[in-house]
Amino acid sequence: MLLILLTVVFFVLRVIPGDPITALFEGRASPDVIAATRHALGLDKPYWEQYLIYLGQVFTGNLGTSIGEYYRGQSVLAVVLQRLPATVELAVGGMIVASLVGVTAGVIGGINRDKPADVAVRLYGTIIFVVPIFWLGQILQLVFAVWLGWLPAQSRFSGLDLPTHITGLYAVDSLLQGRIDKFFVAIQHLILPSLTLGLVLSGFFTKTVRANLLRTINSDYVEAAKARGISTGRIITRYALKNALIPVVTVLGLQFAILFAGAVLTEQTFSWNGMGSLLLLAINSQDYPVIQGAIIVYAFIIVIISVIIDLINGLIDPRVRY
Amino acid sequence: MLGRLLHPLIAERRTLAGILAWIGLGITVGFVVIAILAPIIAPVGQIAAFTYPVNQPPSPQHLMGTDSAGRDVLSRAVWGARTSLEIMAIGVIIALSVGFPIGLVSGYLGGWIDRIMVLIMDSVYAFPGLLLAAIIAAFIGKGVFNIGVAITVIYVPLYFRVTRNQTLSVKEEPYVEAARSLGAKPSTIMLRYIAHSVVIAIPAIFSLSAADAILTAAGLSYLGLGLEISTPGDWGRDLADAQSFLGDGIWWTSLFPGLMIILLTVGLSFLGEGLNDMINPLLKKERA
Repeated sequence: MLLILLTVVFFVLRVIPGDPITALFEGRASPDVIAATRHALGLDKPYWEQYLIYLGQVFTGNLGTSIGEYYRGQSVLAVVLQRLPATVELAVGGMIVASLVGVTAGVIGGINRDKPADVAVRLYGTIIFVVPIFWLGQILQLVFAVWLGWLPAQSRFSGLDLPTHITGLYAVDSLLQGRIDKFFVAIQHLILPSLTLGLVLSGFFTKTVRANLLRTINSDYVEAAKARGISTGRIITRYALKNALIPVVTVLGLQFAILFAGAVLTEQTFSWNGMGSLLLLAINSQDYPVIQGAIIVYAFIIVIISVIIDLINGLIDPRVRY
Repeated sequence: MLGRLLHPLIAERRTLAGILAWIGLGITVGFVVIAILAPIIAPVGQIAAFTYPVNQPPSPQHLMGTDSAGRDVLSRAVWGARTSLEIMAIGVIIALSVGFPIGLVSGYLGGWIDRIMVLIMDSVYAFPGLLLAAIIAAFIGKGVFNIGVAITVIYVPLYFRVTRNQTLSVKEEPYVEAARSLGAKPSTIMLRYIAHSVVIAIPAIFSLSAADAILTAAGLSYLGLGLEISTPGDWGRDLADAQSFLGDGIWWTSLFPGLMIILLTVGLSFLGEGLNDMINPLLKKERA
């Protein structure tokens, strides 16, 4: 999958019009200078040759050097890794919110089948799924930051005294340093973006949990548990929900693609300096190596996550054998 | 053909799925009417910059207020419906006309061609679509048509998958077998026998991808990769513009364009999910 995406992006970038060198000089350089730069960067070679060189580099872990105006000459891998923690932080926060809200709403819907609560949950699941993520972010900012003043609206941290770089995750770094005060600042900044991303993703969780719970509630083993006089609450949590969550984990993998796309928009709304804003910057300066590098890292993460999810599935569901 | 596609809508108008689909259809048609009548409802004069005082809250003259460039928010929102529907139509129709035939041929022929096509389409499908569309949009440039083309990358794999999977199950049907043994050419079998059955799945997926296309197009505009500044209506850009004034408590420039997006996408997804429930016999059985 990685290889195919790489190939698609590589050729798409080159086939569609637009030229990084022209963009680089903004039309202010003589043709000689442009040709010399193009030659130095290897962009004058035929596409297939560029492609082979590029593949060779990627498989040796070298993602090339940036040719854009912001990071020119820097290693793409370093630039991307520097932005990665912010996106990971946001993604983890979003996933936590999405699963908490989604499972809760899904259970409420599932155990109240076809009652008003269930109808409300189903409406929520459908509507929240189509709410534009950047709009939700703006409304949350307006309510919680501008009107109520409870939470910060922008960026990952307040003040210049950032937590020392250990993992790059501000919340984790400040804890490792033992600075509880900084930890709370980092968490405060994380709440609104995570809520924005998480709520939009929760629609999918709500629907899947509800549908699977309905299936397990009607199964024979739940019937058997009822016959043995086990309390309803216990039946739901220990019997029905436990089994209902297995298929949810399976489809979780597909949600990461949506998560990363959503993260790009969330990053923009909250001035969050992650991979998404890096990709935008690279797109706007036609920085091929950084665009390709970011795509590889995204694809790599998605592949790793789907492998992990397969493994988790094997652990929680004894019927799965590899 | 059209009658066959519309049949479930009429036959099941009293079920929950049917009601949902009809509400969705109503909202969608409402937006199409607004989009067509945009020049009458909101004459261009009202959307030129600095026609009115800037950042005025909603009032009887401006039901949704005015924005930071002194434009009537309601008029912008009305023109936005036209732009959004145009982009959506371009994107989804191109995706359908590429994804459907490829899926049909790939599913029918099978073998290594099919395996390669599935591999490519699945890889693109698994990747965040917005990011791919953003890259393509940035390189082919702004404009309604270009954005429509850029978002097709997300929906071609979708139509491919649905068509291919339907084709796989339909091609084993006895009537297709019969046609084959009568010596019908593969092209005849695909067009006359298989496409006819596969097409049933399309309206549902069409509405759902249309809803998603509206969101994606707005997202691209929001990121500054969408339309030229002169476009009379652009919900995504309006939201991006609104962002800088949120701190001053100016809520109307953000709230209303967002509500327009939500209403239209909710309409399309109700229609899509209603249709989906109707054509999916498994769900139907569960409901009964």
